[in-house]
Amino acid sequence: MMENQTNPIHSKLRRAGVLIIVGLVVQTLSLLWNHPLSFIAFVSIGGLFLAMGIILYLLTLVNIPMAQTEKESAQAQKSQP
Amino acid sequence: MPTFLILAVLVITIALAVLVVARPALTVARGGKILAFIALFIFPMFAGMLGLENHMERSKQTSFCLTCHVMGDYGKSLYVDDPSYIPAAHFQNGRVPRDQACYTCHTDYTIYGTFSSKLKGLHHIYAQYITKPQKPIKLYHPYNNRECLHCHEGSRSFEQGALHTADAQTMADIKSNKLSCLSSGCHDTIHNVQNLDHVKYWKPVQ
Repeated sequence: MMENQTNPIHSKLRRAGVLIIVGLVVQTLSLLWNHPLSFIAFVSIGGLFLAMGIILYLLTLVNIPMAQTEKESAQAQKSQP
Repeated sequence: MPTFLILAVLVITIALAVLVVARPALTVARGGKILAFIALFIFPMFAGMLGLENHMERSKQTSFCLTCHVMGDYGKSLYVDDPSYIPAAHFQNGRVPRDQACYTCHTDYTIYGTFSSKLKGLHHIYAQYITKPQKPIKLYHPYNNRECLHCHEGSRSFEQGALHTADAQTMADIKSNKLSCLSSGCHDTIHNVQNLDHVKYWKPVQ
């Protein structure tokens, strides 16, 4: 039951994380290249992926139902020794 | 901030994001939620800001401007062995920082000057890669004395120069940009890239 509820959130987190990782990798590579196009790559490709990832993550946060959050917290507290 | 430190921040951020992607179940616990917030929001924003700032600083470098083929002759003109070449005299005598020579003279010394220069830089990229650069390259606007006066105003050689003080009106006209510093008969030899084949070059001592 718990798995079924949390999976959509986990998959959204995964998607957001992957977008952020792609953005950060592009930004890292652009910093290693001293060329005017590296700035364009940094902003338009890296920045775009990063922004999409962050927005998706924030949307995921605001869309988590409150009851589910409470359940998850209780579950986590129980599982702690 | 040095580039290697920014790269380190980026790598740490990537590692944290990979951890959240690999094990999203971590976010069930409170600590995991905090970790995800740091890995997917705080650090990426911070790393992105640092990277942007680094790119901005890097775009001020002379070597950055000269990466475009069309700027090659302008870079070469900085080494002309002739003091009447204004950019060369400034570059060779350290009147402008050599590693930021282009930016120092070609930015606008106004409140949004740096921002305006960056926008022009984007237009340069558009001209370089999408359309074709003008031949010869021209300034967007006539060169403003404000850029010269940013450093020279108040200096002895400027304020007490014989021609500058020949009459009271001359100095007033220079300061109000009515009389260009680069006007004919004054400091009128600029990059002069058409004549680069007929000049001697200065070789810096290694």
